[in-house]
Amino acid sequence: MDNPNATNTPYEPPLREHVYDGIQEYDQKLPNWWLFTWYITMVWFVIGWLAYYQLGVGQTDQEIVDAQMAKIEAVRAEEMGSLDDAKLWAMSKDNAVVEAGKATFMATCVACHAADLSATLAGAKLPGLPLNDKEWKHGGLPTEVMQIVRKGAPDITKGMPPWESLGTQKIAEVVAFIMSYHEQGGEIVLAPDSPLKAGAADAPAPATTPAPVTPLGASLESP
Amino acid sequence: MSQPKLNLTSLGSINADGSHRSLHPADVKGRFTSLRRWVALLLLVIYVALPWIPIKGHPAVFLDVASRRFHFFGLTFATQDMWVAFFFITGLAFSLFFVTSLFGRVWCGWTCPYTVFLEHVYRRIERWIDGDASARRRLDAASWTGEKIAKRVLKHGIYVMVSGLIAHLFLSYFVSIKGLYQMMQGPPSEHWLAFGVVFGLTFALYGAFSWFREQFCVIMCPYGRLQSALTDDHSLVIGYDKQRGEPRGKVSDPNAGACVSCNRCVQVCPTGIDIRNGLQLECIGCAACVDACDEIMTKVKRPTGLIRYDSYNGFQGGKTRLIRPRTIFYSIILLVGITAFVIAFQSIEPVRASAVRMPGAPYYAVDGMVRNQFLIRVINKRSETARFAFAMEGDISPNWKVSGLSEQMELPALAEEQQVLVVAVPEAEFRGKTTLKVRVTDVQSGASSVTRAMEMLGPDPRLKTIGPLNAKDFVQ
Repeated sequence: MDNPNATNTPYEPPLREHVYDGIQEYDQKLPNWWLFTWYITMVWFVIGWLAYYQLGVGQTDQEIVDAQMAKIEAVRAEEMGSLDDAKLWAMSKDNAVVEAGKATFMATCVACHAADLSATLAGAKLPGLPLNDKEWKHGGLPTEVMQIVRKGAPDITKGMPPWESLGTQKIAEVVAFIMSYHEQGGEIVLAPDSPLKAGAADAPAPATTPAPVTPLGASLESP
Repeated sequence: MSQPKLNLTSLGSINADGSHRSLHPADVKGRFTSLRRWVALLLLVIYVALPWIPIKGHPAVFLDVASRRFHFFGLTFATQDMWVAFFFITGLAFSLFFVTSLFGRVWCGWTCPYTVFLEHVYRRIERWIDGDASARRRLDAASWTGEKIAKRVLKHGIYVMVSGLIAHLFLSYFVSIKGLYQMMQGPPSEHWLAFGVVFGLTFALYGAFSWFREQFCVIMCPYGRLQSALTDDHSLVIGYDKQRGEPRGKVSDPNAGACVSCNRCVQVCPTGIDIRNGLQLECIGCAACVDACDEIMTKVKRPTGLIRYDSYNGFQGGKTRLIRPRTIFYSIILLVGITAFVIAFQSIEPVRASAVRMPGAPYYAVDGMVRNQFLIRVINKRSETARFAFAMEGDISPNWKVSGLSEQMELPALAEEQQVLVVAVPEAEFRGKTTLKVRVTDVQSGASSVTRAMEMLGPDPRLKTIGPLNAKDFVQ
């Protein structure tokens, strides 16, 4: 500043001793409110350190995520557990459910299984298996069909992916739509290449067999 | 409670012991003060009115977070359009560069909401209840009499109410006035988040404008610092004409300069600086000192403009150049920014689609066919139900079987759905990686459609010429 007398008065901060290029610094004290916010962070650090790392009060983010995932799994298991063949057959006779299932089918399944479930389009064979006849590869009961929809085909080279991500309701609706093409108690013929056919003793039942590799499901379910 | 003398050399608003000095800027009248008040009034009216004006069935500005819709003057954006905000905000930043390089910190002094609320709402209330600067200083120093208590309760009561009003209006930008009114009918327990926002904001506004005041501009605001870095010797700033003013002296002194050392410019300053020490980072460019000095100069019958809007060069007696490399560069990036924003804005489609490979194997080679499975994910960004049709683009050999596109997709407002698309090609016809294109068209409007590319993968056809690998071929 122009006036050297303007420094070191009681209301002005003292000048620091060092001089660089003729420039001197004031020893201006930080605002008290600023220091106060700093003290609060220090106190908060102690509280947080004690609460999270010493006393274990409150959940870590990982625990919160795990708890939420467990809750979702529990709800899903409960919903799935309550769905048996009888209920799915009943749903297949409910028009509203079948219509909802049809909407999902037409977006998700139609590309391989065709709109009439014949797995053929204009005479050409589509990748999927026909779902409108009495021949089944992985079992023709509603719960067996649902298992394949959820987890995908056991043989991953065939390309039926797991659709667990659709959610329980949509999966059940789609199964209801498929079963609406069938009669409860109707004949079920196992396909020649069915894994269920050769020796029921050593072939695992499909309803309990998880798909060997379910990329999407696996990454969600195992940490 | 009397305070030490104002420290004009380092930081006026902080005392030597670090305590906050409450500044009491004196009343000032003049052309800039009046104009500034009108600008502030206009801005306040805009702030208050926007949530009340309906345009196309929505408030003029309505950031509807709950249903992920953002309405601006009849235009509606979805969250998927958020990326356009990047170009809008960078555009604002470039405008700031441009304006600041020409006119200095006009934003701070004239239009910043903080300044508008502080100078034109809260300080007016204080002036009305506690009187002028010297009366306020006397009241600060006075002991706690009944009158002082009554004035303090009244002032802070009004502060809290005004803060609550501003906070409620702020919330109404996100929930609309109607939604706000409905929320206010119920207990806070029904909407803790909204209640918490208003409560916290009221508290923050009250603290900021009753106590914190210029500390925000001087110490916290990054915008102010940024602007200080954008000015140069040709930018318009508020300054003191040293050549005319110095040496300071009495009016009667024939050898003295124009400045009569009346200190009015210091008394009116809301950040507690002496503008005669040159441009300082605390200066928010409010022009109070310009009006104060002009008033005195008129009284002593000297030309006004001793403190005025001018550039550093102007104060040195030189010329102010508006067109200079800095302003040219800033105008170019501003133009680029505006162009980018306009292009981005026009590219917004009411449908969003993506084509990705379905989880699982990259391709399937079954029954002499190479098969790829794709997921076409469609999001309807409109506020009404829409139907979408799918079609492949370009020429595709009839032997390539594409299935999954025959059904149209009906999507309610904001809904998201996926469609499976399967492409199968005879292995003999597969010639390596191919790019396919699928088009998603909004059937009703017909106008909006998006095209997405997918890669058709399969076994490398070059490997087939070798034939199946046989261990015998590798063992001599």
